[in-house]
Amino acid sequence: MTLGRSVAVTGAGCLCAAGANLQASLKALFSGIRIPAPPSLFRTSHSLSHPVFEVPESFFPQELPAENDALRTARLAIAAAGEAFADAGWRSADLASLRVGVVIGTTVGSAMNNEGFYREFRCGGDPDMAPIRRFLRSNPAAAVARHFGLNGPLQTVVNACSSGSDAIGIAAQWLEDGICDLALAGGADELCRTTCNGFISLMISANEAVRPFDRCRRGLNLGEGAGLLVLESPSLEQLRPGRVRARLAGYGAACDAYHLTAPHPQGTGLKRALAEALGCVEPEAIAFVNAHGTGTPDNDRVESIVLAEMLPGIPFHSTKGFTGHTLGAAGGIEAAFTVACLGMGKIPASIGCDETDPELPAAPVRHVTATPGRFAVSQSLAFGGNNAVLLFEKGERS
Amino acid sequence: MKAAGIRGVGLVGSFGCGTGALENSLRKGPKPPEDLVFFVSGRERRIPVHAVDTSPLDNFVSKREIRRIDHFSRMALLGAFLALEDSGLTDASRDSLGLIIATGYGAIRTTFAFLDSVLVDGDSFASPTLFSNSVHNAAAAHVAIQLKITGPSLTVSQFEMSVSSALLTALRWLDQGRVERVLFGGVDEVCSVIGYCHERFFGDSGGRIQPFAANRHTAVAGEGAAFFLLDRQEESRYGLITEVRQGRITKAVPFPEKGSYIINADGHPGCFSLYRQLFRPEAEVAAFANHYGSFPSGQSFDLAIAALALRNGIFPSISGQEEMPKGWRYPGVVGKKGITCLKCDGEGYLGAIGLKGG
Repeated sequence: MTLGRSVAVTGAGCLCAAGANLQASLKALFSGIRIPAPPSLFRTSHSLSHPVFEVPESFFPQELPAENDALRTARLAIAAAGEAFADAGWRSADLASLRVGVVIGTTVGSAMNNEGFYREFRCGGDPDMAPIRRFLRSNPAAAVARHFGLNGPLQTVVNACSSGSDAIGIAAQWLEDGICDLALAGGADELCRTTCNGFISLMISANEAVRPFDRCRRGLNLGEGAGLLVLESPSLEQLRPGRVRARLAGYGAACDAYHLTAPHPQGTGLKRALAEALGCVEPEAIAFVNAHGTGTPDNDRVESIVLAEMLPGIPFHSTKGFTGHTLGAAGGIEAAFTVACLGMGKIPASIGCDETDPELPAAPVRHVTATPGRFAVSQSLAFGGNNAVLLFEKGERS
Repeated sequence: MKAAGIRGVGLVGSFGCGTGALENSLRKGPKPPEDLVFFVSGRERRIPVHAVDTSPLDNFVSKREIRRIDHFSRMALLGAFLALEDSGLTDASRDSLGLIIATGYGAIRTTFAFLDSVLVDGDSFASPTLFSNSVHNAAAAHVAIQLKITGPSLTVSQFEMSVSSALLTALRWLDQGRVERVLFGGVDEVCSVIGYCHERFFGDSGGRIQPFAANRHTAVAGEGAAFFLLDRQEESRYGLITEVRQGRITKAVPFPEKGSYIINADGHPGCFSLYRQLFRPEAEVAAFANHYGSFPSGQSFDLAIAALALRNGIFPSISGQEEMPKGWRYPGVVGKKGITCLKCDGEGYLGAIGLKGG
């Protein structure tokens, strides 16, 4: 859908393996620095090591110590939310008088899969309920609202890997309809042994650093993090002129209705979502695309086909070479990167793509690339055939 | 915000399959729950649960097509097929149909079955089929594939607030013209871990939900799927959804003071105390969780009962009505102010769905 009045993005926050905040993450992206490593949060017994992109404990704000009564996903979301509110110039006390909605995408953050608890239960034991209480207190949207004292509507989107992008699009719709004055939206997800085993079982997890769109790509690396945007209604935005980093000018979503885990070979759902997000904006006006770019053979092939057909010649890149695939957080983190890069007028190299794939009709940028233009696209594909596309326009703070 | 018409209702619960089965349960009284058996510290435990039989799904899909589809998704599929069939729009285009599923915990049986595959055989033997079906939006994917729904698809997991939260977005999609119709459903399932959690958190329920019990837990875990075909028509035999509110009860999200209420009082006295604080004396209040069980998306069944009451112009005649707090009374004829389905959670959040005749 084309958003009639364009929803203002006044703040962005991001915490991922690339950096403790958005600025640090961008510095790593433009320096070409990435640090995939074997997981330290858990162990597996697979014969091959599958590197991941973990968020070091030192990246969390000091006022958010590790605690036993919240999942790591909630902690990641709270950290990114704090940065986004600060970037937007909002203090907690000011937010109390507003209708603030929270829409956050996740996968692990909403899964009751505590392995220790379940291991004891299935052996006929009488496990302690602390892990269940922790899970019940950690719904990402509710945990963020509780931390910041927000009173508006909540929605935790569980659309697998498009959750973060869908969350931002849905929040914009809520603002347009006056359900809230301000919305915090994006995604958050933690690394988890269960998910790691799942992706390895599907044979789409690489045992080397991820290589999105490369000829020899072998699958994804999992990652974790959170990326959140502060979105404001037109009436609220007018009260604080000069705050707009970008505008969400379009959102599209469509389902392949094809397969549980594989995208449609011709990307029918992605094409529809992209067309819906673009609305009347001509392809020439698009500065760049932040592709989903997981590094799996199927995903990258489909995205390449769709981008070659619908946005020919438009530079695109994948940032998952720096962050890993952060699942429900990916759309939020990549939206924050897209907003920042649109403001900077350049995008980083699509790291990991050393040799372009001759079978793909379009290839990502392999160097830091200037991207003048008013609009940028961030797109997500997901299990379940979900496709979500966000269209951002430069704001006056860019 | 424009109202959304309810064109079709599809239900599967412990009472059976279809709106007729629910009406039968309301008329004759709820079926007693079944026993769920598991072992704790070497002792057999039997927990009452409201469980669902999905075998009527065979009427809609071949066994071959659903052989790898789990119980959670089968409930969703059955609810979705029934809602579409009830609407009479089975041949309508699915291009402009959106799909939204609200669930508290998702496919929790499959989540634990996947862990079984790891814990029994080791990390290298993790089951890819179980993993892909354990993802929260797997049910939406199966519904979309079987019904060829290519519009937007959304799955929401906001625990007790899942139904009202997801419905907020469903009404936006219709209001903004993103889709012509939305297939909307609430789904949750029960399993031995849920039974264990109920016992540990709440103790012995007594095997029967008493919605208005103020001083003790009577929650009996349940499962089911309640689906609705929603559109923008201004006339609908099941009435119109006119308003959805969700958030912490404050000036920003005021309590809706109108009409009759169906409260999702499902045997938790902490939540029930909130309802008691909210209602004025002489409030018209009904609660029906004893017919389907206690689970996060149970409010979707209240929405179905409200739709049936609007179709019939009167609240269902029920047997076995529980004793109500002093001053409250069971509603009769549906008035002009309509019906509000209300859900309160333990943290002071409210989910309110307003309906009126269409």
